[in-house]
Amino acid sequence: MMNQEDYRKAFDQLSFSADFQERTADLLQQRARELEKERSNMTISKIKKIAVLAAACVALLAVSVSAAMLWMTPAQVAQEHNQPLLAEAFKGPDAIEINETVESGDFSITLLGLVSGRNLDTLNQDLEKDHTYSVLALRRLDGTPLENETFDFGSYTMTPLVAGCSPVAVNNWTLDAFAQGFAKDGVYYYLLDTASIEMFADRTVYMAFYEGFAPNNNIFTVAGDGSISFAADFTGVHALFTLPLDPAKADRAAADAFVASTGMDGWTNERSDPEGDWDIKLQETEDGEEITLRPKDEGGEAPKEVAPLPKGGAPALMPG
Amino acid sequence: MVPFGTDETISRIVADYSDMLLRLACTRLQSTDDAEDAVQDVFLRLLTARPVFRDQEHEKAWLIRTTLQRASDIRRRAEQRNIPLEDAAEPAAPESPGGELRAAVRALPEMYGAVIHLHYYEGYSIREIAKLLGLPAATVGTRLARGRERLRQMLKEDA
Repeated sequence: MMNQEDYRKAFDQLSFSADFQERTADLLQQRARELEKERSNMTISKIKKIAVLAAACVALLAVSVSAAMLWMTPAQVAQEHNQPLLAEAFKGPDAIEINETVESGDFSITLLGLVSGRNLDTLNQDLEKDHTYSVLALRRLDGTPLENETFDFGSYTMTPLVAGCSPVAVNNWTLDAFAQGFAKDGVYYYLLDTASIEMFADRTVYMAFYEGFAPNNNIFTVAGDGSISFAADFTGVHALFTLPLDPAKADRAAADAFVASTGMDGWTNERSDPEGDWDIKLQETEDGEEITLRPKDEGGEAPKEVAPLPKGGAPALMPG
Repeated sequence: MVPFGTDETISRIVADYSDMLLRLACTRLQSTDDAEDAVQDVFLRLLTARPVFRDQEHEKAWLIRTTLQRASDIRRRAEQRNIPLEDAAEPAAPESPGGELRAAVRALPEMYGAVIHLHYYEGYSIREIAKLLGLPAATVGTRLARGRERLRQMLKEDA
């Protein structure tokens, strides 16, 4: 019988460099000083440019602010994240400019653009796979500025979806997404990094933004033809953009293999429970804790699985 | 929270999270050197991305998710470069005491390994893991149950 103690013991036996923490802290502190220096230099450079351009700008300032000035560009957003390679890519021929806006709830949601490519991330230049980077801007319709300190980044999801593929199979989680955000001048910017979505380009590919977490049938509905839309009774902030990808870049075999690899290609619009298909109960016992997983639609039957847990939290592993 | 970047916050975060993240990375990576590279990358990403966290739990969730992503990236890269896929799918031979269990965890699909580790090693409840990984609690529950079943089968086969 193996239990939490055995599990912990197996991972406690791993041996890492004795100086890992010291070496890592030194590396980070050195990098932090370099970044600070770069920012200082950028600030000085900006001040010089502003002085030169100030006179020329006077006439422009008399004109109303153009729509283009409402948002940072995707390249500027990438630059804010210290991603110069990505910033260049957003200015390059492969970038797709979208600039579509949807108003929902208190928000205006604008998908600014996206670009796909390899080795565009400064920290992941050695990756041998393509990524797609998408930039979205969010602002309040009443003009109240969005700020880093108060905006609840974790309450919203930005995710690609693909018509004809289950929303639980192709989404942020299966595409290994990495979302980052920051507020500037009252606008909140998302930079979403996912595995490349170009392999799906011969189908309708969406970018969804909504209030909530993983896609489920309380949020989305899939029509008979595979098209995806928000559920009619979904009340959270939401927007769904169709992405103008180049169908020539599609790779149907890779897309099908990807969906199959997720093992989650099922979908039903019929709702069982907002939490999913399983009813979970955690119960303290004399011996520890029990997890009971019971299918929601088999409420009266025996529990699907009951696992004893030792004191301390984790259930016992019971090989053999 | 204080932005990451001062000597004080760097020292705190490295001291607070290194052990947890290194072991978490080892649920995807066999080499401890690779795990150290992955965790250093995550800390560097924290420095350059400058995300603003609501609280310490938000900070921890970001670090856990980013470590899993980075470790998976490194693993996939290694598999593409060096190891035939049919070999990569098999659990590695035990490399040290406890290696059999660690190899079995690494052989689990990604969606199960993290949940198993956070529950068994870190002692997080299903609902806590759901918050950390941004998943519905029911999804975490099913992943835990199915991951445990697969682990049990693998260890039984190896016995």
